[in-house]
Amino acid sequence: MASAANANLNAVRETMDVLLEISRLLNTGLDMESLSICVRLCEQGINPEALSSVIKELRKASDSLKTSENCTN
Amino acid sequence: MATLDQKSPNVLLQSLCCRITGKSEAEVAHQFQYAVRVIGSNYAPTIERDEFLVSEKIKKELLKQRREADAALFSELHRKLQTQSVLKHRWSVLYLLLSLSEDPRKPSPRVGNYGALFAQALPRDAHSTPFYCTRPQSLALGYADRAAGLSGSVGTSGISSLGVYSLNGPTPTPQSLLAGQPPQSAAAQPLGSRLAWALPINSSPSSALAPPTARPPLGPAVPSPKMIRPRRDGDATGEVSEAALVRDILYVFQGIDGKFIKMSAQENCYKMDSKVVLCKSLRDTSSRLAELGWLHNKVRKYTDARSLDRAFGLVGQSFCASLHQELKEYYRLLSVLHSQLQVEDDQGVNVGGESSLTLRRLLVWMYDPKVRLKTLAALVDYCQGRKGGELASAVHAYGKTGDPQMRALVQHILSLVSHPILNFLYRWIYDGELEDTYHEFFVASDPNVKTDRLWHDKYSLRKSMIPSFITMDQARKVLLIGKSINFLHQVCHDRTPPGKITPASKSADTPKDAAELLSDLEGAFQEKIDAAYFDTSKYLLDVLNRNYLLLEHLQAMRRYLLLGQGDFIRHLMDLLKPELVRPATTLYQHNLTGILETAVRATNAQFDNAEILKRLDVRLLEVSPGDTGWDVFSLDYHVDGPIATVFTRECMGHYLRVFNFLWRAKRMEYTLTDIWKGQMCNAKLLKTMPELSGVLHQCHILAAEMVHFIHQMQYYITFEVLECSWDELWNKVQQAQDLDHIIAAHDVFLDTIISRCLLDNNSRSLLNQLRTIFDQIIEFQSAQDSLYRSALEELSLRLQYEERKKQREEEGQWGVTAEQEAEEKKRIQDFQETIPKMHSQLRILTHFYQSIVQQFLVLLMTSSDESLRFLSFRLDFNEHYRAREPRLRASLGATRGRRLSNI
Repeated sequence: MASAANANLNAVRETMDVLLEISRLLNTGLDMESLSICVRLCEQGINPEALSSVIKELRKASDSLKTSENCTN
Repeated sequence: MATLDQKSPNVLLQSLCCRITGKSEAEVAHQFQYAVRVIGSNYAPTIERDEFLVSEKIKKELLKQRREADAALFSELHRKLQTQSVLKHRWSVLYLLLSLSEDPRKPSPRVGNYGALFAQALPRDAHSTPFYCTRPQSLALGYADRAAGLSGSVGTSGISSLGVYSLNGPTPTPQSLLAGQPPQSAAAQPLGSRLAWALPINSSPSSALAPPTARPPLGPAVPSPKMIRPRRDGDATGEVSEAALVRDILYVFQGIDGKFIKMSAQENCYKMDSKVVLCKSLRDTSSRLAELGWLHNKVRKYTDARSLDRAFGLVGQSFCASLHQELKEYYRLLSVLHSQLQVEDDQGVNVGGESSLTLRRLLVWMYDPKVRLKTLAALVDYCQGRKGGELASAVHAYGKTGDPQMRALVQHILSLVSHPILNFLYRWIYDGELEDTYHEFFVASDPNVKTDRLWHDKYSLRKSMIPSFITMDQARKVLLIGKSINFLHQVCHDRTPPGKITPASKSADTPKDAAELLSDLEGAFQEKIDAAYFDTSKYLLDVLNRNYLLLEHLQAMRRYLLLGQGDFIRHLMDLLKPELVRPATTLYQHNLTGILETAVRATNAQFDNAEILKRLDVRLLEVSPGDTGWDVFSLDYHVDGPIATVFTRECMGHYLRVFNFLWRAKRMEYTLTDIWKGQMCNAKLLKTMPELSGVLHQCHILAAEMVHFIHQMQYYITFEVLECSWDELWNKVQQAQDLDHIIAAHDVFLDTIISRCLLDNNSRSLLNQLRTIFDQIIEFQSAQDSLYRSALEELSLRLQYEERKKQREEEGQWGVTAEQEAEEKKRIQDFQETIPKMHSQLRILTHFYQSIVQQFLVLLMTSSDESLRFLSFRLDFNEHYRAREPRLRASLGATRGRRLSNI
């Protein structure tokens, strides 16, 4: 049981790594935490189109003041 | 973080907001609400759910940016991802990443890109899609953008065009927005609420999170000429654009003059300015639409004039309120249209596009409201000058239509209008209280009437105020119920709370209850009234019978005033006779009262209820000169309190008249008995006087004739008049359901007796004949009395003479001297000479009597009352009079013939 959970955890970590890499390639500006939230939202069947528009708007809102934070990646 | 646990999307979203903006949860509340709305609106993805296609797109994107190496790397990573089975929606994640990707070579590509993205990704037309169309500028969240964009950005709204049609239906009323007033002071308004304002509120369940208070109040849009943008106006000389006309029409809808369409005072309608150049179809359409304004004004004027008028009454007020309700719905619709217009203005595009407001579209949309307004205007016209129940009748009359929509509208108004009336009604039938300040209810009360006439005069029906949905029968019952309650309280001093008499069902508390009742007038309503009627009336009769002995009093009337108690009446007459023969002026009431008491104590009357005997009294009528005691004596019965409602003053007057008649007839019987007694006693004595036999025989014959007549009369009065009527009355009283039935039955009883006893105006001549006959009997009595007196005197003288003669002879003297003998002879001769005089006097009496009886019979024959004709038959059973009176023979045939011809 523990080993199965462990294997699962590994798979998850691996997947997240791959996704983070893709995200970096595409220059999405998402950090690990944001990305994991987004993945979880997507997994719950939320429309990615809507989600992306939300993220953009949110960024725009904080853009002018906090440019530095978005560029940590 | 690593586990894909099922946290709720809202929590995830919130942390995302915090993460991206780098602020605390409280600070990002508005952004979060916005995010929830956008996600919650959850429009179907416009993209294909295919991982392969998405990955291809990503590669293309990378190739476009000339990053071939990265594209290869992506393919590698993607393959790796495919080997993992953790993600179920890989395409989704990939698509998200693609959407968020940015070309690193462009310095600030965001704004433009997004605009383009949204423009193509989301449908624009609010009418053709239920989803909200977010335009980039309206979502300006950035501080810099906001500062710049506020003045230019105007709140937009998607109008659910469905709302136009479902305004009055069961669906939620459309959320209309007052677009005419962009929040110029938006800086003071919370950011999030502006966003919420821009979104249709019922688009998703999660939208309930949005603060609903930030809306501008609904109501008629304030007209502001500035709103008409010059570019749309056209100039007065050129053709007017349709958009300007639409704007004008919208004002006209509210009864405000537009720029081109104005109220024309002479023609009392809205007219297009004649100077305006316009094609005919537009002119026609707009004039057709302008009718709405006229209808609106009409209704509005009525409600404005009435709603402050207190004297208009509660019913009128609720009528105004219902009209207001309808107008409010109408205004709501107008504001929806206004905001739609505003949206178009702001977009500043597609003026002629398919989504814009056109006159034709308005014509279709406004069709239903127009029909409703028309109905209201007609109703207002019809109800002019009416109030209270009359108003409800008027509204009810309008509900009789075949159009189900109109009927529903009128029914709704009717339920509001009738609510106060039903409230009055329930207060009245359950508490007996009349709270009708404005005289709207159909029961009227006269405050001047005192309690002794309460039942008869105090309450009445206002015929005009009976609503047409309440039948006359119901109205009468309602009147009776409340009257009974008041009667119990005020006259019977019965303190039973009304709730105990009849279990009050709940009254019409809300107009809805009223509506339910209205829909079931024959059933529940009728049942309620019947139940209350039955309970209250029964209780009232119980109280009257139990506490006030109504039935006993009724019987007492019959026994004493209608001479039903034979032994008592006979004894009373015996005792009174010496008193009553004296002149009326020498009679004293207290003497007579004493005699009455003696009579009561000596007869069965003593066993009667003390309550009844207490009320029995003697009454002396007004004395006119020459009257004897017989003429003025009368029994009386005192009534007061509740029973006086049945035995009213008029009733007692009738009783008095009947008593006098019966008393007189009874006296005749009594007199004839005396005559007969005299005849029987004297017959033997007077046998010794053969010269009298002829006269005596004549007396006997006449007396027999009179006895026959009076016996038949008495039989008629007792059995055919009193007993029959009494039986009828008693049956009716036993079956009576309310006091009115008893009163009516009693009145009928009295009327019948009066008319059958020949006391009414129609039988005046008959009564006069009867009186003369009675007088003849009295005269005969006195004639016979004097006859007997003189005969007996003569007899005693003769006996004395014989006695003296015998005595002398015993003494040895001559029995009589010649002188004495001559004297005796002379006396006898004198007496015998008086006999023919008596004879002729009796003959005259007989003749007169017979002629009167014959006239009486003739009158009886021609009478319309069947029982009187039977009486005449009995009176002349052996056709004694018929043989003498040719008119009797003729009239019998004649009446038959006449009766036949009448039929």
